[in-house]
Amino acid sequence: MELRRASSLDELNGSLLLSGGTELVPLLRNGLLRGDSVVDIRDVVPRGIDGSRIGAGTTLAELECDPQVPEALREACRLAASPQLRNMGSIGGNLLQSTRCWYWRLNWPCRLHGGEECFAHEGEHREHAIFANDFCASAHPSDVAAALLALGATLHTNRRELPLAELYRLPTEDDRMTTTLAEGEVILELDVPAPETSVYLKAMERKRWAFPIVGVAAARTGGETRVALAGVAPIPWLLEGSIDAATPLPRNAYKVDVAKALVRRAEAALHQG
Amino acid sequence: MARLIRTEKEVEGRYEEVWVVVEEDALEQWPAGAREIVGRPATRLDGHERARGEAVYTADLKLPGMLHAAVLRSPHAHARVARIDLAPALALPGVHAAIGPGDIEQLTDACGFQGAAVAAVCADTYAQARAAVAAIDVDWEVLAPLLDPDEAVARGELVGEPRIRSRGDYDRGLAEADVVVEGEYRTQVVLHNSMETHQSVVQWVGDTLEVFISTQYIWGIRDEVAGALGLAPDKVRVVCNYMGGGFGSKNSPDDYTFIAIELATRTHRPVRCALTRREENLATGNRNATIQRLTIGAKADGTLTALGGEYVNATGWSGWSSPVEGPMQMLYACDNVKTTTYGAKINQPPMKAFRAPGFVEGTFGLEALLDVLAARLEIDPLELRRRNHTDHDASDDRPYSGKNLLECYRRAEPHWERRHEVRARSTGTVKRGVGMASQIWYGGGGPPSYAWIRVGSDGHATVVTAMQDIGTGTRTAMAQIAAEELGIPLAHVTVSLGDSARGPFASISAGSSTTPSMGPAVRAAAADARRQIEEIAEQRGTPDASIAEIVELLEDAQILGKGARGPNPAGMQVLTFGVQVAEVAVDVETGEVWVDRVAAVHDVGRVINPLGASSQIEGGIIQGIGHTLSEHRLHDPRTGQILTTSLDAYKLPTFADVPEIVSELVDEPDTHLTNLGSKGLGEPPIVPTAAAIANAIRDATGAEVHELPISREEMLRALREAAAKEKVGAPARV
Repeated sequence: MELRRASSLDELNGSLLLSGGTELVPLLRNGLLRGDSVVDIRDVVPRGIDGSRIGAGTTLAELECDPQVPEALREACRLAASPQLRNMGSIGGNLLQSTRCWYWRLNWPCRLHGGEECFAHEGEHREHAIFANDFCASAHPSDVAAALLALGATLHTNRRELPLAELYRLPTEDDRMTTTLAEGEVILELDVPAPETSVYLKAMERKRWAFPIVGVAAARTGGETRVALAGVAPIPWLLEGSIDAATPLPRNAYKVDVAKALVRRAEAALHQG
Repeated sequence: MARLIRTEKEVEGRYEEVWVVVEEDALEQWPAGAREIVGRPATRLDGHERARGEAVYTADLKLPGMLHAAVLRSPHAHARVARIDLAPALALPGVHAAIGPGDIEQLTDACGFQGAAVAAVCADTYAQARAAVAAIDVDWEVLAPLLDPDEAVARGELVGEPRIRSRGDYDRGLAEADVVVEGEYRTQVVLHNSMETHQSVVQWVGDTLEVFISTQYIWGIRDEVAGALGLAPDKVRVVCNYMGGGFGSKNSPDDYTFIAIELATRTHRPVRCALTRREENLATGNRNATIQRLTIGAKADGTLTALGGEYVNATGWSGWSSPVEGPMQMLYACDNVKTTTYGAKINQPPMKAFRAPGFVEGTFGLEALLDVLAARLEIDPLELRRRNHTDHDASDDRPYSGKNLLECYRRAEPHWERRHEVRARSTGTVKRGVGMASQIWYGGGGPPSYAWIRVGSDGHATVVTAMQDIGTGTRTAMAQIAAEELGIPLAHVTVSLGDSARGPFASISAGSSTTPSMGPAVRAAAADARRQIEEIAEQRGTPDASIAEIVELLEDAQILGKGARGPNPAGMQVLTFGVQVAEVAVDVETGEVWVDRVAAVHDVGRVINPLGASSQIEGGIIQGIGHTLSEHRLHDPRTGQILTTSLDAYKLPTFADVPEIVSELVDEPDTHLTNLGSKGLGEPPIVPTAAAIANAIRDATGAEVHELPISREEMLRALREAAAKEKVGAPARV
């Protein structure tokens, strides 16, 4: 395997892209990603925070303690992973991380891997999706994505500008991808409009270093309130309507209760904030 | 003088009658209380070496010419190898040898669990070995797995015979009861996850096989390997100087050692076989899941009249059926007790001993149901336990060598009293409460175990014994004992251990037995050396001279002392006791549980090193919080394949999960036990933690949890059940 350091965006030519490596390296090691060439993009992707502009190479550790960053995003970063991982992991990479579904991570031939079956449906699914879980019950693990969705963030790639919501798509029979990023497209910057107030709440199975059972981000921006959830659907989930619309599987109905409580608390926090 | 006696030998609750040669234990115990060195906190002798990364663990060894082995393990819970071809592996670069089913006993073509070893390869690098394993051509015949423990019992698929233990008349006891409570409790599979994975490095040196291994039992490895290879025992040298953790799964050589030996024999090169974290989480043993169907009958005053339990150990493909019924049989006075324990043979990775196997699980069920009884009878839970205290072994009428459980209860009172203040801090959504649970377990150790000691003219002493320090700090404790007995500073004592070729036989480090087995031998050796020094002083006509003054005369002469562990007290039951009091907070909307504080009071006889002892208590409680709240090994219900093989999926507690821990030890020497009166503390602290937390949750919320781990799902289920009960039980509106 070859590892190169890119000095321009023209040098990516189909390679796997490496930033912090906290997701890419395990995926390579476990055979979930394959490739002969890896390009380190840290010299070509902006890093740093300037008002509402955030470089995609900015680490979660840098975001969690910067007062320019809205509360929901800071808290989502602080509650993600461990200090070591946050020191390495970039916000751009965080948005593109794969599900923690154990069947997918163990390379079972599931629908997300192009197969014919979602093994979680009949199998062990207590950490899985309660929304949009009909085709694939994987849960999207990004705390940060839920916060950015609630905050109404916009992404700038080397090809286009798009609302964060349009980065994600539910996998279908015809297309198993969960993002709309094209071959060679790289997230460069994010624009995160300052909210009036925002909050991120997270339920996890231990106090630190766990992906969300349910994460709830809520933000009020320009008088409009948006609530988004992590860990409840194959993609970050913008809540439109009530949690009651959830379609839990037999062993993950408890996530509906947790989500309800956290949404109620997040909304109350916005009200107070 | 050596004596031949017939005695019961106990390891982790399993007894066998054996002939043993034991030495007299002629030394008087020291009087109770802290001495100059023993009983005072000592930092670890090897702390700096470990912290600086200088300590050489098995994982650090790089022998010249060493090859690396990788193992092909069954990816299926139940499968037969229909055909296997090792040739593609052997053809790859760097590969030196490959072995498969039939080459050694540990490689099989009939796989009863995912992770069963099938073949192995060794190569110049680990990556080459891994690639070669991937190239092995196998046709698997996948078979239907048996996964449900109850179904296995119904079908008679058992590990061992069902164990029925009965005393008195259980049915009459139930009939005499004023109140009967019943409950079904379940505990999950828990993984050891030692920091250092299971591994061996082996090499032939002439006709001697050297085995460097991360192990809890140097001598057991020597004997088992020598026996398997038909070698004289001392043609196997076993070395384990530093160890990255052992919780019961590292007592035997296991597949990786025999794989390394066979490959070393074939290649004439040193071979390392080290398991990956993922293999570690499949194939090295676990605390098996249990199902416990329990009944307690009691009089209105709380006197227990009947205890009954039907226990199923989901043992896995092999192993043994752990004494999960032990606490019900032994913890309280009750005339009528009947338990039946099944070991269910299912297509899951085999169990192995894990820090108080059986008793951790059994204490959870028994102590949780006892609090249900306390609530029903409106008796304070601590008082209920006092009323059913027993002053002799309830299961076999033997007297205890020492028991200070009532003193533990007394010392727990201030912690227990906090419950009023803790509850008062509850809010609308966060309920707080306090719970307690008692602890009973073994930990007396036993003979044989030996130590030598060497004192030179510089007044320094070296303790020589081929024991292992598995990370518990026994190296330091042994130095303290030797220094105390010799009357020299702790800094003047070195402990040489970890090598079967360089010291006498020493105890297994399992069953909380290292300190109670080794400590008396070390003290006896030091006393032997001291006696010789005193004899020289007498001959010199200065019987009161200091040790330092006498040894100065030695020049190149040395004083050599030897000591042995004497027998355990005949006809007595040697056990450890304790109580823990947990304070928790429960978010009743999200099911989140915080453990805020655990106070632990244990009775393990004389404490050698209070600092090491508090570390053991903290470690036990933290590990206990793990299996109480977050650790859960999951398998796919259809195929039986393990889903949580990495440490992000299998959730050990982090430091953020660690509560305030208050540890206290009764520190009374067991006057019947050895020249020290010390018992072991490795296991006791993990025994009552889950039960104390479950009872605190009940105190906080009224919800009765029935399953470990107490996940959000289980917590919310229990809360819903409690709310429904309250609705039904509420008085009708007038």
